[in-house]
Amino acid sequence: MEPSDRPGHRPPQPTAADGDVFATDREMRGDLEAVDWAATPLGPPRDWPQSLRTAVRILLSSRFPMWMAWGEQLTFFCNSAYRRDTLGRKYPWALGRPASEVWAEVWEDAGPRIEAVLTTGEATWDEGLQLLLERSGYSEETYHTFSYSPLRDDAGDVVGMLCVVTEETDRVIGERRMATLRDLGSDPSVIRSEQEALAFADRQLAGNRQDLPFTLTYLFDGGTARLAGATGITANHPAAPAVLRADDPGGVWPAATLAGGEAALVPLTGDAFPGLPTGDWPEPPVQALVVPLLQQGSAPYGFLVAALNRYRALDEGYRGFVELAAGHIAAGIGSARSYRAQQRRAEELAELDRAKTTFFSHISHEFRTPLSLIMGPVDELRTVLADAPEPVRQELDAIHRNGLRLGKLVNTLLDFSRIEAGRMQARYEPVDLAVVTAELASVFRSAVEKAGLAFEVDCPPLDEPVHVDRDMWEKVVLNLLSNALKFTFEGAIRVGVRRDGAHAVVTVSDTGIGVPRAEMPRLFERFHRIENARSRSHEGSGIGLALVRELVGLHSGAITAESTEGEGTAFTVRLPFGTAHLPAGSVRCGAGGTAASATADPYVQEALRWLPEGAVGTAAADDPGAGAGANDAAAVPGPVARARVLVADDNADMREYLTRILAGAGYRVTAVTDGVEALHSVRRDTPDLVVSDVMMPRLDGLELVARLRGDTRTASMPVLLLSARAGQEASIEGLRAGADDYLVKPFAAAELLARVRTNIELARLRSHHVRWRTALIDSLQEAFFVCDESGAVVEINAAFTDMLGYGPEDLPYAPVHPWWPDAATDPDAHRQADEAFSGVLEHAQGSCTLPVTHRDGHRLWAAVTYNTAQDPETGRRVTVGTFRDVTAERYAVQREKALAALSTCLSRAASLPEALSGALAELKALWRAHGVLAAVFERGDAPVLTATDADPRWEELPAERRDALAGLRRRTPLTPVTGDTGAGVLLEHPDGPLAVWIDLGEHRPFTTEDQLLLSLLAGHLAQGLARAHQIDQQRETAIALQRAILGPARLPDGFAVRYEPATRPLEVGGDWYDTVALPGGRIGIVVGDCVGRGLEAASVMGQLRSACRALMLQDPSPAQTLMALDQFAASVPGALCTTVFCGVLDPGTGELTYSSAGHPPGILAPPDGSTRLLDAGRSLPLAVRPGRQRPEAACTLPARATLLLYTDGLVERRRRPLSAGIDQVGEAVHEGRGLPVDDLATEVMRRLAPAGGYDDDVALLLYRHPAPLEMSFPAESAQLAPVRKALRDWLAQCDLPPEAVQNVLVAAGEACANAIEHGHRHAPGETVRLRAEAFVENLRLTVADSGRWKAPQPELNAHRGRGVALMRAMMQHVSIVPGPSGTTVDMQMRIA
Amino acid sequence: MPTPLTLTPGRGPDGVPRLAVSGEIDMSNAGSLADALDGGSGPLVLDLTAVEYLDSAGLSVLFTHADRLEVVVTPLLEPVLTVSGLAGLVTVHSTGAAGGASSTERTTADPELPGQE
Repeated sequence: MEPSDRPGHRPPQPTAADGDVFATDREMRGDLEAVDWAATPLGPPRDWPQSLRTAVRILLSSRFPMWMAWGEQLTFFCNSAYRRDTLGRKYPWALGRPASEVWAEVWEDAGPRIEAVLTTGEATWDEGLQLLLERSGYSEETYHTFSYSPLRDDAGDVVGMLCVVTEETDRVIGERRMATLRDLGSDPSVIRSEQEALAFADRQLAGNRQDLPFTLTYLFDGGTARLAGATGITANHPAAPAVLRADDPGGVWPAATLAGGEAALVPLTGDAFPGLPTGDWPEPPVQALVVPLLQQGSAPYGFLVAALNRYRALDEGYRGFVELAAGHIAAGIGSARSYRAQQRRAEELAELDRAKTTFFSHISHEFRTPLSLIMGPVDELRTVLADAPEPVRQELDAIHRNGLRLGKLVNTLLDFSRIEAGRMQARYEPVDLAVVTAELASVFRSAVEKAGLAFEVDCPPLDEPVHVDRDMWEKVVLNLLSNALKFTFEGAIRVGVRRDGAHAVVTVSDTGIGVPRAEMPRLFERFHRIENARSRSHEGSGIGLALVRELVGLHSGAITAESTEGEGTAFTVRLPFGTAHLPAGSVRCGAGGTAASATADPYVQEALRWLPEGAVGTAAADDPGAGAGANDAAAVPGPVARARVLVADDNADMREYLTRILAGAGYRVTAVTDGVEALHSVRRDTPDLVVSDVMMPRLDGLELVARLRGDTRTASMPVLLLSARAGQEASIEGLRAGADDYLVKPFAAAELLARVRTNIELARLRSHHVRWRTALIDSLQEAFFVCDESGAVVEINAAFTDMLGYGPEDLPYAPVHPWWPDAATDPDAHRQADEAFSGVLEHAQGSCTLPVTHRDGHRLWAAVTYNTAQDPETGRRVTVGTFRDVTAERYAVQREKALAALSTCLSRAASLPEALSGALAELKALWRAHGVLAAVFERGDAPVLTATDADPRWEELPAERRDALAGLRRRTPLTPVTGDTGAGVLLEHPDGPLAVWIDLGEHRPFTTEDQLLLSLLAGHLAQGLARAHQIDQQRETAIALQRAILGPARLPDGFAVRYEPATRPLEVGGDWYDTVALPGGRIGIVVGDCVGRGLEAASVMGQLRSACRALMLQDPSPAQTLMALDQFAASVPGALCTTVFCGVLDPGTGELTYSSAGHPPGILAPPDGSTRLLDAGRSLPLAVRPGRQRPEAACTLPARATLLLYTDGLVERRRRPLSAGIDQVGEAVHEGRGLPVDDLATEVMRRLAPAGGYDDDVALLLYRHPAPLEMSFPAESAQLAPVRKALRDWLAQCDLPPEAVQNVLVAAGEACANAIEHGHRHAPGETVRLRAEAFVENLRLTVADSGRWKAPQPELNAHRGRGVALMRAMMQHVSIVPGPSGTTVDMQMRIA
Repeated sequence: MPTPLTLTPGRGPDGVPRLAVSGEIDMSNAGSLADALDGGSGPLVLDLTAVEYLDSAGLSVLFTHADRLEVVVTPLLEPVLTVSGLAGLVTVHSTGAAGGASSTERTTADPELPGQE
């Protein structure tokens, strides 16, 4: 259809408010206009009701996918988001069609839900409902989360429904696939064999028959492929042959293609595929994707046949899923095979170590010969080449040093084996032990001082020689000194010699780290080392002290140690004097004393190398294996892509040696001196491999491995341990600690390089697993995280970063996590997050929903599911969790709640302004806004404002706020606009366009969800306001009518009346009161109540009231009046059953005759506080039995009694006897005894009103007897007597004692005389007014004139002053108030 | 038109002149009473037992002639006489009840009693 000007089809001047209903969506406008709406039950758009227009506008202005159905055929509308996400090819065909036709294929699901919404008016909520839709050219598996909410027409009836829908196909299917992949990767046991790995994989694959109706796993074995696993299909099915020949082109599966690493898509047609299993679907699969089980750098292990879900297209995601599944199976096979290989290698290694140990112990003594042959020439060379270039000398020094050290080790071992074998040849000679010991100590002086320690030698000569073997004694002293230096970092080392009885005592003490108490008993044990002790070096065999003890023992001496941890250690050696304890023949006499022999040199040299580099002088080229390493390195393949290796060794030589070999082979090397530094370095910059010595100070190699494994970031870091400790036990210890490989010193450079290379490659291969895991976790659509025991988040995935904006670079995130809502600005949300998070840490598993804040500040709701797990490497408890962004769902629920709350608020409002202010309060609460402001732009002047806070005036608003509100007027209605500090929307108000502004304060994002919600609420509000306006108008009309009927009759004195319409549902009713002036000063009193409410009841009431008046004037008898009224009512529709109280009062005497037509009894409250019911004279309501005689009753109103007539709305309450209401009235009257009768009426209405206002209309008539006396008379003395007479008569009705009457007469007379004499001295004849009113317990008298009194001048007017004194004496209270318009005398007297 | 007031002169059994008043005495007719009293001198018994109302204007007249008056009243007027202080200046005879026969003689207790005049 042309958007032409054809009259009648579209309104000529569309306005924003009610014009082009489709204008909001430019994209779909044309298609919507093209629909022949006139042919639908809805008719042409210009005839659509406001509610439909509003609904369509909300729909079209929303960016959320929505559709709606309206009217008898549920005519279909949708917006462009829905068209894009869900409708597919059905657009634009679907527009304007019955919804049942549009969604015929799912009507079975949708129909009953829509029906439920239409009949109950309650919204539905479905999450992730599966629907097979025909929108993509095939039956497609889809999932939707949606709510159907009712749409109401202008009258408030449900005539359609709105569906806000989120298509969740991707999420549901993604989660299902991720679950399978997660299960595939979650084998808790260590996979031992290939078969077990495959069986495990099959169990997991079988759990998802939706994406994998059936699977087959084939493994290559030479030229054939062998069936190794299957799910969803029996092994004897033609599609699952046990063996496939790779070169057979006619095979069921294209094995040759797969062997080449290519995937293949196989149509499942033909003979090989009869009666295929269908998985979880009604129909069998039509395609299978066959993917290779890839192996890094080699031919595939085999292939996986995955039958495909025919209800999903094979897209990127599906293909990726199958490939990841295959990848995992391949990794499982790979790790099973490499586990087998590693196990084999470990066994070989152990065997090799055993052989090495044997070999070493057999030939270690043979070392001495080549060592001698090395050391001799080296010494010579050092002498000869004393002037050679520095590098040469340094190399020679290194050879020399390490040769010495090796010699020392070998000698020590040999000493032991000799001692073990009892073959130690000792030669004891008498020496001055003090001198010999001091000489040995002096050798160490330089090393000790270089270490920054004091060295105190206290060796006074002994008076008797001691027989010692000098070599042995040297070893004793040097070992002790070496030991002291090794473990002392500050303070001093002391050596002392003294005599103690028959013994010479030598002590070596230090201020070092000391020995833990628990270690003391094993201090001298062979090969025992104190683990993790801080020391200058971790080198050492652990046999030094054991050897010392053996050697001391050979001298029949004893050694003891005393130590305090942290303070130091003292060794005390006691040797006997004399020779009696020595074996005969081994004692020599008087041998020459040589100075510290060559034995000392290795000890000192070794000690010097422990000291910091600067202290000794560097030796860059100082390493024994440099040449060989460089040469050998050429023989092994080059390093892997410039891998980076971290070397940790406390021995400087070894460190430099390793650095040299590895750098020479092309690795980037970083060297550190111990485990602690190694950890720091790894954390700073992750290397590809760590090569670490086992024995290191501070943190040894095994602990280093444990620490690396304990940190998820470094858990997979490959580590190669080096140690001098040979033997299977040591290597197993290393591997158990988690090291990847283990190399025993000494080792060839080539072997080291080979191991390094293999380990880096293996790690890269193995890290496929880790990378696969990372890829898996990263591909999860749900956010994933791992928390440690402290609650710190230590690992996250990409979705986590996407959802919260926090990336892995700042890990770990310690609690309080940065995404918690701010405690200061949003304490509620912060508390919720806190509670939820405590739950996560306390419970083993669970789920919760909590608010979180994105890094950019916007609010999210996350549904978290978590589980605790044991970290297999560290044994620590960790919490693994995933979460989903449920903000949209939450907002959908919130929307429903907000709409319901607004509806409730609107329906409760008693008026249009109340509806608007209530709605604004709802908006304010919903968004926790600072305030909400509404401006109604009526014609002309300043807009009318309504606000949640204060009552601002338009001129007082800030200019920018005025501009924002005025700017909203130009916007499309119901389309929210956001600004820096809030959001606004324009909608229709009965008085003109209404701009609403929600003030959110600074930096509060107003999301698209918020906008949608605001749009919906604004639409709702517009409808609600229109309804409230209508109700307002009806109500105003009705009340005006009612009041017009009831009033403004002039009430006789002493009467008060009230009429109150019911509060809800805002309707007038048929209650009335009336007083009729009858002949003889009598007064007719009528109170009645017609059945029903609203205008109809009001009009019946009007007729009855008029009739009753007329009848009473005709015959002032209550019974006669009612009987005549019976006849009249019988002819008035709606008058049946009206109840009436009709009475005639003689105000002079208080006599009342009355008759009641089924009306609640009148109440008479005498001054004594009791109540009496006027329950006589009762008969049926009007027109029930026309013609029947009615009774009449009479009573006399006591003086100062109150008569109260009413309709049932005043006293009737549900679940409360009428008498309770009557008692309440009596109480109110009694307590109001001091009030004028009109005030008493107000008080009674107030006190009797229920909390929410009267729910029925109420008419009330009050009379207090006698009526007040009111008189006006000319200011002439002649008036005094008649006034006195009238007052005397009135007082008689008040039932007062005679003295009191006389007192009142005197006081009143004086007041009147004053008014005449003073007030009107110069203007006689002006009016004086007198009023006397009797209350229950007192009497009040007022005399007012229009003149001004003179101040009393007793000396001139003695009798006037006497008059005032009389007034004061006669009455309890007298006040004379002069005013500009006259003087008023007010007097009161208590009635006893 | 002034309030009706009847003044009936006479003499008592003891020969003392006597003026019987009936009606109500207020400012409109106090002048008549004053005229009647001003016309004589010497002791006078003023019989007010038939007076139902006496206001300050009437009292003023009585005060003017207080030194020669004896007043006879019903209890109804007693409070006015007492409150005004007149009862302290003149001898008041109360009849016990309006128009009753018994009479209670009161005498001046304190001639110096300060009046409002």
